[in-house]
Amino acid sequence: MSKRTLRKSLDYVKKDYVETRKMPGNWYLSSYQYKFNITHHQSFLKKLKDKKLVGNKCSACNRVFFPPRFVCGKCLVKPDQWVDLRDTGQVSTYTIVYLKDPETGEVLEKPVVMVQQDNCDTNYMAELQSYIDFKDTYIGMPIKVHWAESTNGNLKDIEYYDLIEDDSKDLDVSKD
Amino acid sequence: MGRQVAIISAGFSEHASKRSDVNMAELVNEAVNDCLKKVPSLSIKDIDAYVNGNMPAFEGANLPELWMTDWLGARNKPLIRVTTGGTTGGSVGIAGYYSVAAGLPGIDTVLAVAFEQQSQGDTSIGLSSVALGEISVLNTLGLPYEYLTRLMSAGGAIGLASYQAANYMNKSKIREEDLARVVVQNRRNAAKTWWSHLKMPNLTIEEVLDTPYISYPLRYGMVCPASDGACAVLFTTEEKAKDLCDTPVYVNGVASVAHESVIIGYDASGSAQLDPSEQLGAMKSSEIAYNQAGISFPRKEIDYAEVYSPFPNQELMWVEKLGLFEENTAPEMYENEVTSLNGELPICCSGGVNATNAIGASALERPAVAALQIMGKASNQVPKTVHTAIGHGWGGMLNLCTMMVLSDQQQRKWR
Repeated sequence: MSKRTLRKSLDYVKKDYVETRKMPGNWYLSSYQYKFNITHHQSFLKKLKDKKLVGNKCSACNRVFFPPRFVCGKCLVKPDQWVDLRDTGQVSTYTIVYLKDPETGEVLEKPVVMVQQDNCDTNYMAELQSYIDFKDTYIGMPIKVHWAESTNGNLKDIEYYDLIEDDSKDLDVSKD
Repeated sequence: MGRQVAIISAGFSEHASKRSDVNMAELVNEAVNDCLKKVPSLSIKDIDAYVNGNMPAFEGANLPELWMTDWLGARNKPLIRVTTGGTTGGSVGIAGYYSVAAGLPGIDTVLAVAFEQQSQGDTSIGLSSVALGEISVLNTLGLPYEYLTRLMSAGGAIGLASYQAANYMNKSKIREEDLARVVVQNRRNAAKTWWSHLKMPNLTIEEVLDTPYISYPLRYGMVCPASDGACAVLFTTEEKAKDLCDTPVYVNGVASVAHESVIIGYDASGSAQLDPSEQLGAMKSSEIAYNQAGISFPRKEIDYAEVYSPFPNQELMWVEKLGLFEENTAPEMYENEVTSLNGELPICCSGGVNATNAIGASALERPAVAALQIMGKASNQVPKTVHTAIGHGWGGMLNLCTMMVLSDQQQRKWR
C-alpha cells in the first residue's frame, strides 16, 4: 500500500460521553418508484445506435443540451430543435477517485472527468481510457468519443473517451 | 411593509461525533436552555411561536418535531417545520425572520431551532437518497450501478466538492498548502470555542498535507466531520428587543437563491453549469441581501463573516463570490492573516463548518455566531468592534444559497 492511501487521522481534543441505552431500527430509504418522461430521449438513443451524437437546442436561448433535456430551466420552454454534434470535446472539470479493487485489495487511482462536447453547452460525466495516467489529466484536455464494439442504443455505447494526440508539424519544430 | 426584526440571543449544544449521552430531543433541549439562559428577563411562556428543522433522512427518525414538542417548550403554540437539505438551518432562520416580520397579531417572539444527530442514522444513505432519482434514470438508460458510483466519487457532497476544488485551483493557480492553511486557521479557532467538534490547537500545515487523499485534491485532514448538535436563535420585534437585551442585533437582509445543479442535470440530462466554482446562486443571494440591507461596498462595510464551508476550497470561493474580496485574491488574504482573529476582516472565528458540521444546524449556526460577535458574547470574540456581519448557508446539488445580513443599526433603505 502506497503512502498516498495510508489512513492516518489527526488528533483532536476528545470528550467522552456516558453511553445510554440504544434501540436498533430500520428505515428503507432506497426503494421507491421514480417516474420520468422518456419521450425526448427516444430519438437521441436511436442515433446513438448509429454512432451519432445529437443534442437538443432551446429556440429561445440557443443553448444545446447533451444528453437532451425536457425543459430549459432558463426560458421555461421545451427545447424543440435537434442539433448534430461532433464526437470531440474537452475536459471541463475532473477529480481523481481512490477505489479498492474487491479482488486484490489494491487501491486504484482513476481520473473521473466531466466532458463538454464541442458545440454544446452542458457537462456530462464520463470515464477516460484506462491507460491515461491520472497525473496527465488537466482541465481543457482535448478528447474524443470511443464507441463500444456493438451499440445497443443506450448510454453505455459511449464506452470511454480517448485522448486526441496532437500531431501537427509545428509542434515538432518547437521541440527541436 | 414588514416589521424590523432583531436577534436577542443564540444558544448551542455541545457538538461531538457521538453524543451517546443524550437523545435527539434532549440535545435540542440543551440548545434551547443555553439560548434562554442568555436573556434572564424572558421565560419560556413569552415565546409565541416556533420554527424548527433538520434532515430526517440523515437520522432515520421521521417527524421528530411531533415527539419533541415538550422538550422545545412548544406545547399549545404554533410550530412549523422547514427542511431544505444542507441549508435547512438557513431556511429555518429565514422562516423565523418572516414569522416576526409579517406582523401577525400575538406573534412577536419566535424561537428558531435546527438540529442533527448524525450518529443515530446513516448519513451516506440519506445523502445518496437525494440523488437516487437521477441515478435510477441513468441506470434505466443503460449505465450499470457499479459504473455510476465510481463516476460520482462514492456519492454525496465530497464528489461535488472535489470537482469544484479542481476547478478553483486551476482558476486561481493555488497549491494544496493554500487549502491546508484555511483548515489550520479554522481548527485552531475551533479550539477556543466551547461547543465546537474538531478542536486542534496545535495543528500545522505539514500535518494536514501528510494525510491521504479522499478524492483529489481533497485530503482526509481537510474535510469536515459529521457531528451531533443543535442550535437555537431567538427572533423578536425591535421594541421588545430594546427592553430585553443591551445590544439587539437587527436582521437587515435575507435571501435564499437556488441555481442550476452541477455534475448532473435532472432526468439524466447534462448540467448547463460548466464550471462548478462559478456559483451564480451565491452571487445573486448576496446581491439581494445586500440590497435589502443597503450595503453598497461589502468589503468596506462588513466587519465579520461566517461562511458555510465544509471544504477549504469552498471557504476561499465563497468569500470571493459574496463580494468580500476580489476574484482569486482570497488565498493571498489568508496568507497575510487578513482573515485571522486579529485581522482586518475575521472569517469563521468559531471554526466554521470545517470543524463542526451537524448538517441541519450548521447553516443556522452561521448567523447565530455572527449575532453573538456583534453582541460581544461569542466564545472566540474578535477584539475589534463588529457592526455588520453576514451568515451564509449552502446546500445540495442545486447550489441553494441562503444569506442573512446582521447589524447593530436598523435597516435604513426601505423602512
